[in-house]
Amino acid sequence: MPIDIPIWAAGVCAGLHAAGSRDVVYVPDNPLSHVLRGLHGEYSDVRTTVATREEEAFGIAAGLYLGGRRPTVMLQSSGLGNSINALTSLLVPYQIPMLIIISMRGDANEWNAAQVPMGRAVAAVCDAIEIPHTSPATAVDVMETVALVGRTAFATRRPGACLLPRRITVPPPAPPEQMSR
Amino acid sequence: MTRLEATQRIAAACGSDPVVASLGHPAYDLFATGDRDTYFYTWGSMGLASSIGLGLAMAKPDRRVVVLDGDGSLLMNLGSLATIGWVGPANLILIVIDNRLYGTTGGQESATAHGADLERAARALGVDRCITVKTLDDLGGALIRAWEYPGPWVIVADVEETAPTMRPPQDCVFIKQRFMRAIGSPEGATQGGPA
Repeated sequence: MPIDIPIWAAGVCAGLHAAGSRDVVYVPDNPLSHVLRGLHGEYSDVRTTVATREEEAFGIAAGLYLGGRRPTVMLQSSGLGNSINALTSLLVPYQIPMLIIISMRGDANEWNAAQVPMGRAVAAVCDAIEIPHTSPATAVDVMETVALVGRTAFATRRPGACLLPRRITVPPPAPPEQMSR
Repeated sequence: MTRLEATQRIAAACGSDPVVASLGHPAYDLFATGDRDTYFYTWGSMGLASSIGLGLAMAKPDRRVVVLDGDGSLLMNLGSLATIGWVGPANLILIVIDNRLYGTTGGQESATAHGADLERAARALGVDRCITVKTLDDLGGALIRAWEYPGPWVIVADVEETAPTMRPPQDCVFIKQRFMRAIGSPEGATQGGPA
């Protein structure tokens, strides 16, 4: 993995690969650009496809699954709001599994107030529409969490989401070495 | 031509090719022409039939994949045309049943009744092989061309609305498992095997 890929992003690449996913359908997001650089640099067997909208990404991924693939969808948490009908009327009732990687906005370390309401609602929305969700505790846990969420999704034939907290994907600046009085 | 006549002609061309049908009247009429295991009927996710077809065409590059969409549904997901144009799957045929109205919800007019042109939209968004047909003969000719030459194809079938007579199976998991088995990608968990 190139030296400039953050460890969490390298973990997403390795985790989705370990879960057997070779197709990633996504709508761009700033932190997820690190994951895409990792995939394009080190995982030539993973096909990446850009969708114009998150709901469309879930439709494409559903078709990939019907054709025997194990798809991953990557999106920013704001895009979950664009996707609820696809999730509730396609993925959940047809039991179409996929690994969903959600780059969080609106949680700790957010600066944009417009991102906060949807970000705060993500976990409750996932619960309400029966999408299991898991968050890694630290950057080094990302690989295992992504791999486990993906394996569980494909084994149980239900979509599963890994929520990547902003404190991991956009690390705050390091504190000063010594506090001044 | 009526929607049912157009759908009958399309179903005859499809044979054992997988077909993804948009919810409501497109799916109802496809079922009425004779149910097949290779039909994936959607019951929700309006707008996504073309996206599901795109993903399926990417997963199965050796199979022709047909999408039966509606004008109202495609208008809800025009970005799909841009993605299809970009990805360019040669094996995808998107057929838009354009009755210029929301037939399943009571016949409210859609934008295609007022100048919106889905063939031109597809061209503008990067799909070069597009055709609009208004008669059964022209539809038959378009299907022959689309089956013969690489796509992606967008065929807009200008039809008259007719009342549907039947509904497809309503068990979503049954539809999925039957479809996946029929097109050669059965779900592992439905097959059984060693512990």
